[in-house]
Amino acid sequence: MTRLAKLWDRFGTFCILIIIVILFSSLSPNYFTKPDNIIQIFVQSAITILTALGEFFAILIAGIDLSVGSVVALTGIITGKLMVSGMNPFLSVMLGGILVGAVLGGCNGLLVNYTGLHPFIITLGTNAIFRGLTMIISGANPVFGFPYSFILALTGNVWIVPAPVLLAVSVAVILWFITVHTRLGRNIYALGGNREAAYFSGIDIKLHTLVVFVISGVCSGLAGVLSAARLGAAEPGAGQNFETYAIASAIIGGTSFFGGRGRIPSVVVGGLIIGTISNGLNILQIPTFYQLVVMGGLIIAAVSLDRLIGRAR
Amino acid sequence: MSATQAASAPVVEMKGITKTFGGVHALQGVDLDICPGEVHVILGENGAGKSTLMKILSGTYPPTAGKIVIDGYAHGSLRPTQAAHLGIAIIYQELSVISELSALENLFVGRIPLRKRFGMLVVDWPLMERESRTVLESLGLKIDVHTPVRHLSIAHRQMIEIAKALMRHARVVVMDEPTSSLTNVEVARLFSIVRQLRQEGRAVVFISHKLDEVRQIGDRFTVLKDGSTNGSGKVEAVTNDDLVRMMVGRSVKQYFLNEAAIDRSQPPVLTVNNVSSRDRRWVQDVSFDLFAGEILGFAGLVGSGRTELMNCLFGAMPRRSGKIELRGRDITPRGPVEALKNGMAYITESRLQTGSMPNFSIKDNIVISRSVKISPLRGLWGLIKRREENGIAEEQRRLVSIKCSSIEQNIIELSGGNQQKVLVGKWICIQPDVFIFDEPTRGIDVGAKAEIYRMMRELSNQGKAIIMVSSELPEILAICDRIAVFRAGRIVRILEGNSASEEQILELAISGGNTK
Repeated sequence: MTRLAKLWDRFGTFCILIIIVILFSSLSPNYFTKPDNIIQIFVQSAITILTALGEFFAILIAGIDLSVGSVVALTGIITGKLMVSGMNPFLSVMLGGILVGAVLGGCNGLLVNYTGLHPFIITLGTNAIFRGLTMIISGANPVFGFPYSFILALTGNVWIVPAPVLLAVSVAVILWFITVHTRLGRNIYALGGNREAAYFSGIDIKLHTLVVFVISGVCSGLAGVLSAARLGAAEPGAGQNFETYAIASAIIGGTSFFGGRGRIPSVVVGGLIIGTISNGLNILQIPTFYQLVVMGGLIIAAVSLDRLIGRAR
Repeated sequence: MSATQAASAPVVEMKGITKTFGGVHALQGVDLDICPGEVHVILGENGAGKSTLMKILSGTYPPTAGKIVIDGYAHGSLRPTQAAHLGIAIIYQELSVISELSALENLFVGRIPLRKRFGMLVVDWPLMERESRTVLESLGLKIDVHTPVRHLSIAHRQMIEIAKALMRHARVVVMDEPTSSLTNVEVARLFSIVRQLRQEGRAVVFISHKLDEVRQIGDRFTVLKDGSTNGSGKVEAVTNDDLVRMMVGRSVKQYFLNEAAIDRSQPPVLTVNNVSSRDRRWVQDVSFDLFAGEILGFAGLVGSGRTELMNCLFGAMPRRSGKIELRGRDITPRGPVEALKNGMAYITESRLQTGSMPNFSIKDNIVISRSVKISPLRGLWGLIKRREENGIAEEQRRLVSIKCSSIEQNIIELSGGNQQKVLVGKWICIQPDVFIFDEPTRGIDVGAKAEIYRMMRELSNQGKAIIMVSSELPEILAICDRIAVFRAGRIVRILEGNSASEEQILELAISGGNTK
């Protein structure tokens, strides 16, 4: 590996972020760089970062999770229903967000283990199933009328840090710790690097696959709760296209589609890139339809740049 | 072509064929003449160069030196299309029929006949059907030509390959171990077709391991050993013993035999009782004992089920039955996790596929299994203790003498031999009682080989019990205390290492010791 490639491996994603920030600040010098807007970018990125963190693990084992969007919607609806029926908000979040997220992710993991099919197929199916369940439970109607304490806790500030940012950063730090300092994390990297060798090395493939999808489910569950709080209502149609942004963030963050390579900090920056692009396009008042086109183009450009420099290895 | 029974002038002569792959001699000055109306059998151990020779004949590889004379005209090398054009057809072990296409389409692949219809050129299906029916009938094959090939048996697919060769007017038909996946009835059918081809004056080259088949079908033979011709002549003129003797006898340079005698009065370390794989084709009722300080070799042909047995022992392949005891305690593992926790280590056959983690440093490759072994929750629980792991990895680096600049280096930057040493170190540091080495020296240089042998012997001197699977007989004879000869999923016999010979092992591995 050359020195440039090594540096790029570590800071490449960050460089892309800088390039994009420079690009937008030159296009919109008055609004884009205002402190309020910078904070806004972080807040808007929090949900993408949460889903991307889960997606990171799925891609790390050479799999994928296409169900993140519908998990966001289903956990949002269940948490909302629980709160509206009078359950304590904290308990509702624990049950409807984290536990339901874990169970949905667990379903993905168990299905992958028992059928032996690629996660792409399984989560393509469960994505539809979870979305369907969301519609059935909600009757296709949004759930609203949440307690004020819930909205305040997830949209307000903790000292000067916005709560969504704090949540995303905390989850990122915990998951970073797992990937770098625990046997579980290293085993997941081993599984992604060479599944068969990991099996013969005594790593319990099925158990670790299950854990990976549970992690992804919990991350999406938290994103679902956050999304409900931000909108003040749980929408059955929430989370559309979230899997695209989650996958894009992980890949821009240098996570290898072949498994076994990738770092949490880069994925967080990847999520920030997606958030920045979307914020910048809004500020430039580009219509939503055009935004999709630009977003797609920028994702391809960013990843191409990454591979181009990475090829120097 | 008229039926000429007696061998006439050769249709193909390969003269002084030499082939080197990156400095390694695969073939050295091999001569082979193939005559019409004759079945020429080519014999040799695994890796003797049979397949390479045939690939040169078919134009897949150019020879490094030597020439191929066809119809009196000498070629330095052939291109695949040229070889086909000159009437050379090869039927490989892995058949090359296209399984999604019908038998008919397979027969005509690459040269589909066309006819004019409505001013356009369209596929001439009627012609194809007529021609294929003639050929298939001449082979006595009754199948619906429109069936996709994937619905046909292996024997039928082979027939289609032969039919394809006949339709292209092949004068030389080469069959690479054609009977390896056929039943007895199918083999009889194949042989009658081979005789028919001979009758028609075609030349047949038949590659086989099985001596009884050689006797049934062969007219002349050539034995390859280590890439050179080691005997040829008429099959009637030699005995099976002669053939086996010609196939073996590679020189063994270094001996790593045990100095001290194994104490077999003590109870064995490992007892294996009636292990069968769930699919009984692979492993059937295997039982053996393994004692402390012993190296037990598993010899046998490629595909005889040795690796599958090792997978069964390690819990990596489903078993139908069997019990595995370590020092009298039942440890029959349900998976690799249990095998490793109970003191077994398994250096697998393929470093790339089942051995190393390509995204890991040398250090992480060494400590990964140990970290699972000491984790209370099947690897889920526990923090990585860097200082401790660095110490362990450095210790292994010295112990198995890994040549690297740092243990933080990525494993794929190492040579094959050094990668293998890393994987040996990985298992040494979990301190197992039993080691399984599956082809531990495959594809590594001589120096690294010697070091692996030394390591194995050191481990055995420490009282570890070792199983070694190897397809290289000289290696097995050089370091194993006992040798289990494996054939078709069973142990045929267990021989004493110091009195066994290559001839004896090969004879048992090929025929099970039944034919003389």
